[in-house]
Amino acid sequence: MRESNTNSTAYVRKFSFRPFEGFRRGRVYRLAAVSWYWWIHQWERSRAIKILIGFLLFTFVLMNMFILTFRDLMLINPYTGEAISPNQLLEDTILQMIRGIVSFGMTFTASGDTSNGFSEASFNVGGTSIFILILVVLVGSGLISDDISNQTTEIYYSKLERHEYILGKFGAFFIFGNIVLTLPYVFEFFLLVIGIGEIDLITALPVFVHTIVFTELITVTYSSIVLAFSSITRRRLYAGLSAFMFLFVANMIVTSLAFTGGEVGLEILFDVLTVLLLSSYILTGTTTVRLQGFYEVNLTDGVGLESWMILGALGFYILIGFLIVVVQVYWRHGK
Amino acid sequence: MEAETIITESLTKFYGKIRGIEDITVRIPSGGVGFLGPNGAGKTTFIRTLLGIIRPTRGRAQVLGYDIRHEINQVRDRIGYIPEFNTSFIPDTTAMKFVAFCARMNGLSYAESKQRASDSLFYVGLGEERYRKLATFSLGMKQKVKLAVALVHDPEIIICDEPTNGLDPTGRVQMLELIRSLQTDEGKNVILSSHLLRDVEQTTDYAMVISEGKIRAEGNIKELTANRRSTVSVKVKTKTEELLHALEKRGMEVWIEGAFIEVKTNPDVEKEIFKTAFQIGADIRYIGSRSSTLEDVFVSLFKEQEAPIQ
Ligand SMILES: Nc1ncnc2c1ncn2[C@@H]1O[C@H](COP(=O)(O)OP(=O)(O)O)[C@@H](O)[C@H]1O
Ligand SMILES: [Mg+2]
Repeated sequence: MRESNTNSTAYVRKFSFRPFEGFRRGRVYRLAAVSWYWWIHQWERSRAIKILIGFLLFTFVLMNMFILTFRDLMLINPYTGEAISPNQLLEDTILQMIRGIVSFGMTFTASGDTSNGFSEASFNVGGTSIFILILVVLVGSGLISDDISNQTTEIYYSKLERHEYILGKFGAFFIFGNIVLTLPYVFEFFLLVIGIGEIDLITALPVFVHTIVFTELITVTYSSIVLAFSSITRRRLYAGLSAFMFLFVANMIVTSLAFTGGEVGLEILFDVLTVLLLSSYILTGTTTVRLQGFYEVNLTDGVGLESWMILGALGFYILIGFLIVVVQVYWRHGK
Repeated sequence: MEAETIITESLTKFYGKIRGIEDITVRIPSGGVGFLGPNGAGKTTFIRTLLGIIRPTRGRAQVLGYDIRHEINQVRDRIGYIPEFNTSFIPDTTAMKFVAFCARMNGLSYAESKQRASDSLFYVGLGEERYRKLATFSLGMKQKVKLAVALVHDPEIIICDEPTNGLDPTGRVQMLELIRSLQTDEGKNVILSSHLLRDVEQTTDYAMVISEGKIRAEGNIKELTANRRSTVSVKVKTKTEELLHALEKRGMEVWIEGAFIEVKTNPDVEKEIFKTAFQIGADIRYIGSRSSTLEDVFVSLFKEQEAPIQ
């Protein structure tokens, strides 16, 4: 044992334990290393994450087969019998899909929507949104809490500035969000363009931009909230559960209020997911939405729920989450 | 190589009202330095301040000529740090990946970090186990991984905070040998913080004794121990200076330590001291051989046991 030990040390010293002569990479490289490491680490670590991502991709394929099979049917509005333009079909489908990411039970329709109703009913992918949320929580809950419980913060802070650490962690989530949300839906967009055919790409550009903007907005919102929970506890389980409750339960309560015919007023602002969902409508220029198909809410009439409140609330959630992370990292961790 | 690796000036850190370290002004020489003090003395606080993990309340510090306030990232790239915490790990990664990742945080390229991670793990004796998950590692192995992390980016200073904590006797010996060889074979500057005198004596040549946030003594361990073993301490009522000079004139090796004059032993040393004292009219209050090892200094500092005065 001792013999082999000295041998290997001698070997190392002779051939490879050598001074480092290369140049050191800049701060951005290091920050990216933190982000990338986390993502790779999560991917390797958790079978659940692999399965969930696999499952999401599978539902994607399934959905596309469905859309493309019934393409000709869908180009006709089932209620009015009028023809729908391919661009309109593309828009309806992709917007429904990305809105589905944040909608479990709550559905909205834009008032006076030309939507064919078919995509409404069939392609509300709310079914997969719960899996995305679970995935988000699985990946994100340990981002900071693991470092606290393992005391890895000590190693990070001995090499990086605190703001680099924070950015690295947000970056990790950003990589995840782009792989799981933005990329698949951008891909989906082009799949639909090819599948539906006869699409005017210039007209479709705003829809494409919104696909990217909205999925990124979801990533930013989720990251801010999940990281905030992750930074206040040393247990990833608690962080994950509370983040999940915070997002999911509020959504269920508000949704059930609407379903049971109760008035849904400003309390909707407590529901982050619905706020996100409504933001998508606002960003695409819709001013009047119908909740669950019944309650019509005008977002620009100066009465009750307004656009600015929704966007403001969203900004507030993102900011508060981010501030919690900053406060925890700067003033509490490893002090 | 510079003569000093770390220079501090009134470096102070208070945690609210709790004192971590207070007014530490030191010039830490290059080579191996032991940082000795009981638990709660402020060793970890001092180290974390140097690394910019915590901000000093006041005071200044320079590491290898870089100011810790303005050039902390230069400092960080040049220090390898073994934290004292026992679980500083991401349990479900392999040792290789973890060490390489740490290298990347110090700016090493992807390929370079892999190569060096492998080298460092071999160096600390974990070559065979480098693709195993950290969760399966024993405490001793984890401690070696930490050493590998500290080495991987080729720092000039390696700071080990209580590296033998929780190790069994074999692990302890291996760890200390590794640390020792870093100085002797690799020419690194090593700072070893420990509450155990034995660890420090076995690994470094120079020691600083810290307690209650302040440096109490420092010096070459050989001098502090070996020389002491053969010194005679003298305390006089007055005329300390005169006696010192008079003894010096007689060709004896003498120096002042606290209230005592230390005289290097030779045959008849006591007789000569008495004679000299009598000649200049100094009144001897105490004479005798004092603390024979650093351990005694250590103990006397912390238990506040003064040398007996006859
Ligand atoms: N994060 C902290 N918050 C408050 N007090 C602390 C903190 N860290 C250390 N201290 C206090 O500072 C003093 C020095 O601690 P430390 O540097 O850990 O000593 P050592 O490493 O020598 O055992 C102790 O009194 C300890 O209680
Ligand atoms: Mg300590």
